[in-house]
Amino acid sequence: MLNRRDLLVSSASAALISAAGSPAFGQSSVEDVKIGVIYPFTGSGAQVGVDARFALDTAADIINEAHDIDLPLAKGKGLSNLGGAKVRLVYADHQADPQKGRSEAERLVTQDSVAALLGTYYSSVAAVVSQVAERYQLPFVAAESSSPSLHVKGLKYFFRPGPHDEMYSIAMFDFIKHVQQKFPGTGATVALFYEDTLFGNDTSKVQKRLAEEQKVEVVADIKYRANSPSLSSEVQLLKSKNPDIILATSYTTDAILFVRTMRELGFKPKGIISQNGGFIEPAFLSAVGEHANGIISRASFVLDLATKRPSLKAVNDLFKKRSGKDLNDNTAREFMALIILADAINRAKSIKGPDIEAALRATDMPGASTIMPWDRVKFGADGQNSSIKPVMMQYGDGEYRTVWPEALATRPLKWPLT
Amino acid sequence: MRDVPPNPSTSLADRNLAASSSSRRRQLLVALAATALAACVPLGVSDVYAMNVMILTLMYLALSQSWNVLGGYCGQISLGHAIYFGIGAYATVIVYLKGGISPWIGMVVGGVFASWIALALGYFCFRLAGHYYTIATIVIAEAALLLVLNWEWAGAALGLQLPFGPDSWATLQFGRNKLPYFYFVLALSLLTWLIAWWIEGARWGYWWRAVKDDAEAAASLGVSIFDSKMAASAISAFFTAVAGGFYALFVSYIDPQSVFGFQISLLITLPAVLGGIGTLWGPAVGAVLLIPLGELTRSYIGGSGSGTHLIVYGALIVVISLLRPEGLVSLFRSSKPARGAQA
Repeated sequence: MLNRRDLLVSSASAALISAAGSPAFGQSSVEDVKIGVIYPFTGSGAQVGVDARFALDTAADIINEAHDIDLPLAKGKGLSNLGGAKVRLVYADHQADPQKGRSEAERLVTQDSVAALLGTYYSSVAAVVSQVAERYQLPFVAAESSSPSLHVKGLKYFFRPGPHDEMYSIAMFDFIKHVQQKFPGTGATVALFYEDTLFGNDTSKVQKRLAEEQKVEVVADIKYRANSPSLSSEVQLLKSKNPDIILATSYTTDAILFVRTMRELGFKPKGIISQNGGFIEPAFLSAVGEHANGIISRASFVLDLATKRPSLKAVNDLFKKRSGKDLNDNTAREFMALIILADAINRAKSIKGPDIEAALRATDMPGASTIMPWDRVKFGADGQNSSIKPVMMQYGDGEYRTVWPEALATRPLKWPLT
Repeated sequence: MRDVPPNPSTSLADRNLAASSSSRRRQLLVALAATALAACVPLGVSDVYAMNVMILTLMYLALSQSWNVLGGYCGQISLGHAIYFGIGAYATVIVYLKGGISPWIGMVVGGVFASWIALALGYFCFRLAGHYYTIATIVIAEAALLLVLNWEWAGAALGLQLPFGPDSWATLQFGRNKLPYFYFVLALSLLTWLIAWWIEGARWGYWWRAVKDDAEAAASLGVSIFDSKMAASAISAFFTAVAGGFYALFVSYIDPQSVFGFQISLLITLPAVLGGIGTLWGPAVGAVLLIPLGELTRSYIGGSGSGTHLIVYGALIVVISLLRPEGLVSLFRSSKPARGAQA
């Protein structure tokens, strides 16, 4: 005889099974072009996913509704070549786990019949999602995952409009050269300070190679455990080596800890050049306040570009209305990724993967049609956009401003810091 | 982690000891029937996502059952099984990528290697009692994670990716077809269950449960405590590593964080704890409830960014732990004594 608990368990499992078999939520008209969006919405990277959602919703709104902005697809409603079809974003949470990323990508493709995939911030997840895209023959646009290992795998359906980390590191060393010339006696020694996941490891490898090529002396090479509760011994070591410049690669919580620990130990180098990441996150800036002053970061996007990219201000206003904050390097790239993808779908006049792939490959968008400091958007055979010039920006007076290259600078470089 | 109350587990063990051979045969038949039934499910379900959920459920069932051999039957609570899982995953991929050797062999190599590691670690760690052993397992698994993170030859933080090849049973690589993975992991689950079933009736099984219940009393009766722990540990590590190898082939990409991370150790332990530690069916019941719940809540309410799915997931675990500290299988046992009395 069944007792109450048995009944409860069996009905709960029946509910689970029926939920597994039921179609996805929120079905609507067949005309919509569905795009699968995979980000971390929970776990340590959740804030990135939440911000990405604001950026992508803004982009979808600009595509789907009429806006007086000088960007592809902004003027009309929806995708004109597909009878004004609207772009609909289907979000999924990968929790920074490659296995979950794979499962979600497969779900979006097979259950939601998305036309393309977009994501994923974490490069490890991007590696897996790009494989799923290849298997199912539909494009995957990596909006901001920047590991150089992603575009060298010979994948046909992988596209990255933004730069990869190697391009950034090259720009950083070009900048160091500029500093050495302009401020003689500074910038001869650097310390590498990086977290131990893919992001930090990849970056440091390239930085070591470039330092050797440019004869910049690396006085300390410090790898720390990501999300470590304390960085005291690491910063102590940095202090004892006293480098001119610290090249820092960190995510948000580590970046906060790093800056606070430096202050506590009374250490200030002549310059800190960061590999973007946590150092540009609003959470970091509000946590360390004025102690972020002078920090330099590489970027593929700076807000003060508005003078050169007229559409930027309008986009930023729309984004700010949703999120309450300004666009940053990540959200701007996410925004652009969707515009570029939608533009290709519109030109393909089809939602079939191979057609969209061909259209993406034929993309040739001038920099003026973007909100980025890029020359243009044009993908190579490896799916990487090579027409990108990273810039360096410096924090001060509550915002990051471009300081290099000098032609794009909107504020003079403050150097050295001590 | 909560303590396992000694009394219920003792009485469960007693009941198991008293179980007649006819009841053991019945258990076996139920397991075979359940496996046969599960084998028919894909005939009606072709959806890739549903297949993924079932494959993961079976994988964690196999893992948790392997863990149960050491943690449940022998009473050595390990929260560091990710080390064996990771060894299996890395061994399988490395043997294939660097040596061109079939991943089938790689999984066995990983299993054997993990067993050695388990014996080596056990040699030192089994001198620690109770919680100290548990803490040691956590620390050792974390150390392994750090080592692999810095191991350039094995891809360091970048991890390792299996090359893109045609569908093949030889390499267990299938682009869109999930059926082969399903049947492989179903067979693995059955195998781990059979091991547990065999242990329940074998001399080793009685020894291990004696070690779990009262090591000193067992020793006074001639049970070799150290050897018991070592044997349980080696068997447990072997199957955990084989499942790790399967995971690597299934996802086709591994990095240190996703196979050596603490979350893997927890996910291996949870189904057994939830379902019932040291029971034949506990890991199965726990995995069948827990894994689909985690997957479905994430997929259908996780995209919002509100984290609701984790609240639901966590709340359920808390509720079950509070209502049924002996595990979910005790639900089925409550009606058992009456039937047992008749038999």
